[in-house]
Amino acid sequence: AAPPGLEGAVERSPTSPDYLPNLHGTLGRDGNSDSNRSGEKKSSWDKLFQDFAKDRYGICPMVQSQQKLDRPLVRVQDLTPEKAEQQIWVRARIHTSRAKGKQCFLVLRHQQFTVQALLAVGDRASKQMVKFAANLTKESIIDVEAVVKKVEQKIESCSQQDVELHVERIFVISQSEARLPLQLEDAVRPEGEGDEVRKVDLIIINLHRNLNTTTSQAIFRLQSGICQLFRDTLINKGFVEIQTPKIISAASEGGANVFTVSYFKTSAYLAQSPQLYKQMCICADFDKVFCVGPVFRAEDSNTHRHLTEFVGLDIEMAFNYHYHEVMDSITDTMVQIFKGLCDRFQTEIQTVNKQYPSEPFKFLEPTLRLEYKEAVAMLKAAGVEMGDEEDLSTPNEKLLGRLVKEKYDTDFYVLDKYPLAVRPFYTMPDPNNPKYSNSYDMFMRGEEILSGAQRIHDAQLLTERAMHHSIDLEKIKAYIDSFRYGAPPHAGGGIGLERVTMLYLGLHNVRQTSMFPRDPKRLTP
Amino acid sequence: MCQVSGVIKMALRELSSLERFLGLKKPNKYSSQGGKKVPVLQNNNGPALIGLVTIASHLVREAKRPELLGDSAERRAVVQQWLEHRVTRLDNCSKEEVKVILKDLNQYLEDKVYLAGNVFTLADILMYYGIHHIVVELAVQEKERYLNITRWFDHIQHYPGVRHHLPPVVVLRNRVYPSGHY
Repeated sequence: AAPPGLEGAVERSPTSPDYLPNLHGTLGRDGNSDSNRSGEKKSSWDKLFQDFAKDRYGICPMVQSQQKLDRPLVRVQDLTPEKAEQQIWVRARIHTSRAKGKQCFLVLRHQQFTVQALLAVGDRASKQMVKFAANLTKESIIDVEAVVKKVEQKIESCSQQDVELHVERIFVISQSEARLPLQLEDAVRPEGEGDEVRKVDLIIINLHRNLNTTTSQAIFRLQSGICQLFRDTLINKGFVEIQTPKIISAASEGGANVFTVSYFKTSAYLAQSPQLYKQMCICADFDKVFCVGPVFRAEDSNTHRHLTEFVGLDIEMAFNYHYHEVMDSITDTMVQIFKGLCDRFQTEIQTVNKQYPSEPFKFLEPTLRLEYKEAVAMLKAAGVEMGDEEDLSTPNEKLLGRLVKEKYDTDFYVLDKYPLAVRPFYTMPDPNNPKYSNSYDMFMRGEEILSGAQRIHDAQLLTERAMHHSIDLEKIKAYIDSFRYGAPPHAGGGIGLERVTMLYLGLHNVRQTSMFPRDPKRLTP
Repeated sequence: MCQVSGVIKMALRELSSLERFLGLKKPNKYSSQGGKKVPVLQNNNGPALIGLVTIASHLVREAKRPELLGDSAERRAVVQQWLEHRVTRLDNCSKEEVKVILKDLNQYLEDKVYLAGNVFTLADILMYYGIHHIVVELAVQEKERYLNITRWFDHIQHYPGVRHHLPPVVVLRNRVYPSGHY
């Protein structure tokens, strides 16, 4: 009779009296929860299976910090040929397992790194032990003691291609349930007409979270790198990091796309950007500030690049005479980020590329700057019909990206001097042509990642522009007043972290670069 | 209904552009007949000529340019085939059919300068007139996808005397989308 499966073993609670003494080899001998408590039955099982390796495998009792084992655990990524012939302990997940007669191959995974492990019946492992290993559920966390062996032929499917592990002991630390919550049913469930994008999203999210964690690991490590590089670069430039409130009393850019929250007896809004606060800091002589934090947009757009909550990297800086001082500072920061990623995150980039191939990200130094007029001319030359002061539509934005890439061979550029009419009220008009403004967008692979401008630091002009945009002056009184007592000329911009990650890696959906994406139809997990 | 009258207007403008291309001095008067508004040419010395291709072929002979219908039996057959393709498949085709037509034509033109190989014929003129409203709507990326059509189309629209009533279509000479990136 074949030994029963794993189910009986995992259901026991740690307080069960027979739990602690029965550390090893429980699997394959316990029939069900009843037989766990029956000593007689167990001994009869033992007689049937004289297992010489029974102390070498099994399910560990729940780690409740009972003992401090002096047992260093080697990380999977450190398993290299230098460690050959060493006996080591590794903690990892079971990525895949494949049993073949008297052998069992496991692929062990930790973060984005994988290694092959081999368990074969012999001096060190019994038949029962191999069977135990073969029956372990995927994603279970195990401790293995093994000898590192060099391999003659590279193991293409693993990140550690030059070595494999010959397992001598194997213990389960945390067992995964047999059925993974893939929820592919969700992906194929009809959700009404025209919801194809949504279905694709669901598949992306689920596959992404549950199957391709190596890719996921790499993406979010790189994202953390972007934040760190952003901070490091700006702090080196003499910036101060500030924290701004996210619950605010008035919408900064008109009321259309803000979330309203009830706030005691009145209502408040979730900040669309730290715009007003970073400007107030400038007025308070902080000169150069930045802020990393959540930003909210109540736009009901279900596209590949819109989220309702994302991480904003915001910069505001006082300048001497020309807002290009600030623009250059921001582009230089972006270039430092791109360089840093290229130098320090090659492993991550390559891991993502394996699943989502894309061309390497290209940029120029100094960053290419085009004026809006030139961009419109390029589009018109390509046969696009548009007005001189019309905003760029998404398809045109992307086409422009391709045209720029073809002409200048860069994936990163600045578009300067936007038409005043398409920018927010606090944007400084262009002194030479009042139809244009001192504002700019930055693009990566033809998609906008940053929007910025010189702000109006004169209370009177600001009032005029606000009235021109029909904004209720009462609601922004505090904002306008902050410019009445001496305000230095300043400019800034805000970057979306998820978009930068997505576009740097050449991914196609911003949900892939948001760990817990929020969009009009997704509030969980 | 509006679309049908648009088509008939197009057919008449096409014929008059063709007349100018052929250098015919005296413009003909056309009428139309039936629900589909087929163009009709009332000839002074004979029965009425009916249908775009029939009238166009007649104009070519009248202008003493028979080579435009093909200078060999084989070529004549190819020209006739494309003229037929124009009025039976291209005119009034649905959106789904457009994709198939473009794909097939693109493949056909891969190793040809003109529809009948390496000589300019009436087939090129009428196919250009007929496909213009489709090509003018294509995005840059699609024009690049149907690269051979775009090349042929650009060549024909610049062929002396052909374009007349139609607006020029902008064609990029450089590829801006990496190959296979569709």
